[in-house]
Amino acid sequence: MLPVVSITLFLPLLGALLVMALRRASPTTVHAVGIGTSALTLLGAVAMWSRGVSETGFAQLEQIDWMPAIGAAYRVGVDGISLPLVLLTAALFLLTFIYSAKVRERSHAYVALMLLLETAAIGTFTALDAILFYVFFEVSLVSMYFMIAGWGHEDRQRAALMFFLYTLLGSLPLLLAILGLYLGSTPHSFDMRLWIDNPPLTGTAAMLALIAMLFTFAVKIPVFPLHTWLPAAHVQAPAAGSVILACVMLKFGTYGLVRFALQMTPDAFREAGIAILVVGVVAAIYGAFAALAQNDLKRLVAYTSVNHMGYIVVGVAIAGLAHDPAIRALALDGSVLQMISHGLVTGALFFLVGMLQDRAHTRDMDRFGGLLKTVPVLGWSFVLAAFASLGLPGLAHFPAEFQIFLATLRVEPAAVVVILGIVITAGLYLQAISKVLLGEPRASLVTMSDLGPREVLTLAPLLILIVVVGVAPGWVLDIVHTTTAALRF
Amino acid sequence: MILVTILSPFGAMLMILLLRRMPVTLALTGATIGLAASIGLLSTTFNTTGSELLLPCLPGMPLRLVTTPLTVLLSVLVASISTLVVVYAIGYMQRDDEKARFFATLLLFISAMQTLVFAGDWILLLAAWELIGLSSYLLIGFWYQRPGVGSAATRAFLYTRSADLGLYIAAFVLIGSADTSEIAATLDTDGNAALAAGLLLLIAAMGKSAQTPLHDWLQRAMVGPTPVSALLHSATLVAAGAILLIRVAPMLPPEALQIIGIVGGITTVITGLIALGERDLTRMLAASTSSQYGLMLIAVGAGVPLAALLHLIAHAAIKSSLFLGAGVFQHSRDSTTLAELAGAGRDRPRIFIGFALSAVALAGIPPLSGFFSKDAVIAAALASPEAQLLTPFALAGTLLTGAYMARALRILWRGDARQNHLAGLGWMGSGMAVLVTLAVMLGAAFPDIARGLHATLPESTLAQGLGLGFALSGLAVGWLVPVPRLLGPLLPLARQGFAVAGGFDTWMIRPARAIAQGCEQLERNLYNGVLAVGGYALGIGRAVRHSDDRGIDGLVFALARATVNLGHRARALQTGLIHREMAITVLATALISVVLLIALTVY
Repeated sequence: MLPVVSITLFLPLLGALLVMALRRASPTTVHAVGIGTSALTLLGAVAMWSRGVSETGFAQLEQIDWMPAIGAAYRVGVDGISLPLVLLTAALFLLTFIYSAKVRERSHAYVALMLLLETAAIGTFTALDAILFYVFFEVSLVSMYFMIAGWGHEDRQRAALMFFLYTLLGSLPLLLAILGLYLGSTPHSFDMRLWIDNPPLTGTAAMLALIAMLFTFAVKIPVFPLHTWLPAAHVQAPAAGSVILACVMLKFGTYGLVRFALQMTPDAFREAGIAILVVGVVAAIYGAFAALAQNDLKRLVAYTSVNHMGYIVVGVAIAGLAHDPAIRALALDGSVLQMISHGLVTGALFFLVGMLQDRAHTRDMDRFGGLLKTVPVLGWSFVLAAFASLGLPGLAHFPAEFQIFLATLRVEPAAVVVILGIVITAGLYLQAISKVLLGEPRASLVTMSDLGPREVLTLAPLLILIVVVGVAPGWVLDIVHTTTAALRF
Repeated sequence: MILVTILSPFGAMLMILLLRRMPVTLALTGATIGLAASIGLLSTTFNTTGSELLLPCLPGMPLRLVTTPLTVLLSVLVASISTLVVVYAIGYMQRDDEKARFFATLLLFISAMQTLVFAGDWILLLAAWELIGLSSYLLIGFWYQRPGVGSAATRAFLYTRSADLGLYIAAFVLIGSADTSEIAATLDTDGNAALAAGLLLLIAAMGKSAQTPLHDWLQRAMVGPTPVSALLHSATLVAAGAILLIRVAPMLPPEALQIIGIVGGITTVITGLIALGERDLTRMLAASTSSQYGLMLIAVGAGVPLAALLHLIAHAAIKSSLFLGAGVFQHSRDSTTLAELAGAGRDRPRIFIGFALSAVALAGIPPLSGFFSKDAVIAAALASPEAQLLTPFALAGTLLTGAYMARALRILWRGDARQNHLAGLGWMGSGMAVLVTLAVMLGAAFPDIARGLHATLPESTLAQGLGLGFALSGLAVGWLVPVPRLLGPLLPLARQGFAVAGGFDTWMIRPARAIAQGCEQLERNLYNGVLAVGGYALGIGRAVRHSDDRGIDGLVFALARATVNLGHRARALQTGLIHREMAITVLATALISVVLLIALTVY
């Protein structure tokens, strides 16, 4: 059997090495390498999807001894929670490369960094060894730092610094928790499967490990009040960086919340469940209100990420609190689907804002107006993505949020106040549509050109997927549900 | 068959969007095939027990489409009114150059409404409910370049979305207590869950059916094209609220019924007064819609959902023909204000006759359809346990209906005729003619409908007498007495839409904005606080700038350095120095936590 997971994982790295080797190649060649590599990676992810997952733990395992003395090994594999995220990552990177084909400035370094980031992202989702996970987790951080600092906007230095400070310092507690779990396991091993099957820590030790992990993932997700790096990083990052940051890297946080916090310290998680739930509710509502106050389109989308990621935290907390396995599966199905939906919808929105900024050189909503008339394709794409983001049925967020809210009401009825978020996001997106797209076109903007073929190629797959996931979520949920229905803790 | 009713308008919409030509033909074909399928269903379903269609969706919760006599009847109503409105719109939109977008959205609207009508589970109902909201947003905002249109569309969507939370939570409550998403099975719910769900559903219905205090958006929605209003107000958007309550009526406990009746009663009076004081014809018709839906809620509250259904059907035909008439007058005078429309009826006497017939039907004069349905509502109110409360409301609503319709007729007729040519009058006239015929004749079909649904109406000669008496006096008062004298001190209040201290804006939007500003302030403080963490940050900042200045090489080197560092860390682990690593990490973590805590407490 072909080691498809490892091939998919290291293809982008190979591509990065190839780019570095081709020092004299033109930017066009370099971008072609980037697009080609990521297309092959997507093919690999699709092959992984076709092989499917198993009802008993992880599937498609690939393992090589690495540091046998301490029980660390190269172990990769997927289950219903990670597989959809791998597919999402591969798809988004391909689209990002297509969108970025216009980058002429230091294109070698750009493409190499992005490819490195792709390997790191897929590695984070497929790693089944805690050391391996941590390495990928950190490498992604470094690459993203350079993306922001190298190709960002006006105030990129400060934003990159903020990003680095937060997430680097934020990830140290995770290392501590990993070491704790390692020391607690007998025999000592970094095999995440063992930790999931037999949670190594109990009592206070488990609670301490959980707190450490929660801190790390709370920064990454991010939840209030540890989210301040996010708007800054998003606003300053180039559009492609924003897309990867929001759609892939934020998922590290929620993925870790499920994989580590929930699965490896389940009892402590249940004890702390209410606190985590409250954090999720506050983050979701706060994010929505903060987004309502924004005039900068990119900041607005960034804050709605805080809101949508808050729903995921709520879903995971409910899964931890629920005693009925059916409700737990419901909550986790919703949370995982929400990660995918958020990736698709926010990806489309950040691309669209990037395209607007390329044309108008501003992100200030008050300086737009009447764009639906001047650039109808861009305008209607924005309307579709915005309505998806506000949770309209038939589009990607609805099935996910419906499941999360339904499970919430059945476990902790009071927490259903989080549903207020969908009214606030409706308000802020309609206001944005009204200011940017409706009304008479501004004289300064009437010459704006509509989307070109490269941009359509970037956006169309996302918009189609948004509708497909919204209308027929079954094809994703079947894979997710295979795993979530079999979880026992 | 069910799928044809939904997919034929939907398919026509897709064809219009893809082909970008022949929107008129495609729209008419899509709507007509849908209508034929609905009628086909009607002929089969009334004799059998009905059927169900399952579609896969969420794990364990399939989507269901059900045919029961009620759903099929409503589907025929939706299909026929919308087909006639499409016919009318062909004429109305003749001069517009964005016909493709208009008809595509209209068809989306129709298929969403058909889905809502047939929905047999809460998820599909909720989905259709919100898609109706979306399509009405797109239709109300159709002329988005005109000033004020964007905000009216936004307002309509926000009002209904806020109220929709009621539907969301009610659906969760019902699914949770019945452990299935099938509507029919959840209707067995009782006790507190039923009461809570009933009240939450009432909130959702109040939003969609524009009941007081959520009535304001409907009048503002008049900025859309008139055929849209005709559809919104008769068989689709606004009807969704009443349809929801009619469908769940078997589940509602007496407390919920009482509150529903009171909400309907208050609405019918308040919005009736607004309609009487209105200075714009379409806005008046909009207020009248709220008022008529108030009457339907009274019937639901009285425990006779069949009466509400009959009034819904009669009102759908009547109100759509009134709007279509108003659309012709609007084209003829390029305005909808009553002052400009004075005498517009004389420009087009045949349209005026149709308009007048519908107006009288709405007032409740026999033998027109409105008489029978309104009589059923009043009889239901009389027979209910809350008769003392509900009957006065129902009679006041009837009186007001007569008064504002007579006033409108008088204004349209008294004045000078102007001669002008109207494009597309043939299409508009034929669509309207059929609707007026329906408005006149439908009463004859009511006994059959009642039999088909296996329900009986309370009969009462007292109700007929009272209803006719109040309708006639309403018409007389409205024709004879000028409005300022009629309303007196209530007139300014009515003209502001009885908005309590600014209404929705003061109670919802302003607090939301204040909270948002508060969050934004907090955001800035947090951001500055973290940045101010001091020299530590500055040091790294310098290093960052340094590495950035050196361009590509710097990037690659720094990347290599970071990787090497990670390698070191891994090697340290491998050599067994775990405890030292751990100690360092503990220290680092403690340091970070302290720094963050200080930052947080300072700001």
